Amino acid sequence: MGADRLIRLAAVAAVAGGALPLLLTGCLAPLPQPLVGLNQRLEAAGPARAPFLSGDWLALIVSKGGRDRVQLVDLQRQQPVPLPGLERPDAQPLSVAVDGRGERLALVRQLEGRTELVLYRRNLMALQTVPLQPPGVPRRVSLRADGRELAVEVSRQGQWQVDLIAVP
Amino acid sequence: MPRQRPRPGLSLLGLGILALLLSGCGSWSWGRRSAGPVGWGAADRQDPALSGNGRVLASVVRRDGRDTVLLQEQPSGTVLPLRHFGRLQPHRSPSLSWNGRYLALLVQEGPERRVMIEDRATGRLHRLPLPGGLVPESLSLGSDGRRIAIAMEGDGRSRVQLYDLTALLEPDLPAGLPVRGAPGAAP
Repeated sequence: MGADRLIRLAAVAAVAGGALPLLLTGCLAPLPQPLVGLNQRLEAAGPARAPFLSGDWLALIVSKGGRDRVQLVDLQRQQPVPLPGLERPDAQPLSVAVDGRGERLALVRQLEGRTELVLYRRNLMALQTVPLQPPGVPRRVSLRADGRELAVEVSRQGQWQVDLIAVP
Repeated sequence: MPRQRPRPGLSLLGLGILALLLSGCGSWSWGRRSAGPVGWGAADRQDPALSGNGRVLASVVRRDGRDTVLLQEQPSGTVLPLRHFGRLQPHRSPSLSWNGRYLALLVQEGPERRVMIEDRATGRLHRLPLPGGLVPESLSLGSDGRRIAIAMEGDGRSRVQLYDLTALLEPDLPAGLPVRGAPGAAP
């Protein structure tokens, strides 16, 4: 009985020894790590949505005081940067995108009863309306990391389409 | 009579105004092109996302009643294959890395909405676990593939959280080699 038991124990140990590394590999597979410090700062800034990440920049829409506003966060410094000339108290941002240098922001917003696509250049503090041809209602926007082109979802005659627009 | 030297302040101001004028007062300066045909009739196309270098476009189209991600080479519009997402649907909020190596996506699996990333170079599918009680609404993958931002709903509040992916993904950088099967790559 002693020998049998020993053999069985040895077999179990061998199986367990083989399975254990496999189990451990599964358990220890690399996981995405939350960026705790940044997440706490974002949480403190208020309810947020519609993130767009590019390079070391995060653009998003944050609600504060009952108003939605665009925020651009420098991830290296973990600080929001000012966007003078972009915000209007009567505008409602719907979608935002930023290039990899944090220089150009594309924004879809509702203003005075219409929805428009605008491009903001941070170095010039200048805002330009991007005309849609043929006309349509924009909703979501995406910007290439090199800032040279944007893709925008546009509603035309009841259908959603995607326009690709080169940025001059 | 002595010549007047131009004042640098005025020159800079003039250059700034000129740059603004040239950069878009008229619609002529905005080049446009089609994203290419969807391939199965006049389907809606939503949620566009460009790779960092602009050579791949992801969008969501309705196919057989299900929202499905469509990956297209630009500017040709050629449809690029995906290994996993063809059988995991519906999709929303696609996002691409610089060369289009990584495609991050929200996938509905039964009652659960999950964050997944397909590595087009290795064919591997990464499922990102999220904290319980939070439902992902949209996402954005950093162009280098090092981070992901996820908008989530939970506890009656919307929030954005960032995750570090460096332990999971190799960087996809501008200087990197193109993905096999991607536009411009050697066969």
